[in-house]
Amino acid sequence: MKHIEPLPPPNKPEDALAAVVALRHVAEQLERKAVKEAISQGWSWSQVAQALGVSKQAAHKRHAAYVSNTKRRKGKSDV
Amino acid sequence: MFKRLLLRFRDMQTIGKLIPGADEHANLMGEETPGAEHFVLSALTLEDRTAKRVFDKFGIDSKKFQSAIKSQYIEALSSVGISGQTIEIDPEPIKSGKIFHDSQPSGQDLMKSLYALKKEDKELPLQGAHVIIVATSIEHGVVPRAFKALGVDRELLGKAAREELASI
Repeated sequence: MKHIEPLPPPNKPEDALAAVVALRHVAEQLERKAVKEAISQGWSWSQVAQALGVSKQAAHKRHAAYVSNTKRRKGKSDV
Repeated sequence: MFKRLLLRFRDMQTIGKLIPGADEHANLMGEETPGAEHFVLSALTLEDRTAKRVFDKFGIDSKKFQSAIKSQYIEALSSVGISGQTIEIDPEPIKSGKIFHDSQPSGQDLMKSLYALKKEDKELPLQGAHVIIVATSIEHGVVPRAFKALGVDRELLGKAAREELASI
């Protein structure tokens, strides 16, 4: 993705808002996949949190349930 | 009195299937909590089959509705210059460990409207078609955009759902 087009024209707020919802949806999917991959590669929850710009507790609370079964190839979680 | 109690009991049983079904559809589509679209998908699997029959009349089904949900995301992203090929939006199913689930605001609104609709309709137990009526009254968001992607007129779909209930 090189650049984002300007938002749809102001007279079409429905389209602009739908774009925001779709971007949020995609961002959530990407975040979940990225965290799962990072943990499986041995990243600690502290490192994941730092990379995401959130607290360790926030990162763990949000994602731990979905990555708990992921086998970590190296290292252990620090939470 | 007894009839009303029986009706309420049946409604609770149906809600007991509708909500977990919506949770399951949300998780399968990679979302933590269900939105209105997941309640529609759940309604299509209810045993009364009224929602399914309404969809059948318009030549649509659960699979087509799921594709339409994806299509409306792709269309929305394209409006800001992001093509569906640039970003993979195929969600990975998640397994939620939560015991008590919440809903997205659209799912909560749908349930509130469903409750209000059922308060008016005291004759019939809760049916999948009731969910479709409520879903077709939603003006903005994923559900109306998915219906639009399917080329389905929301008003006509709502009318068909009412007729389905009247025919019971």
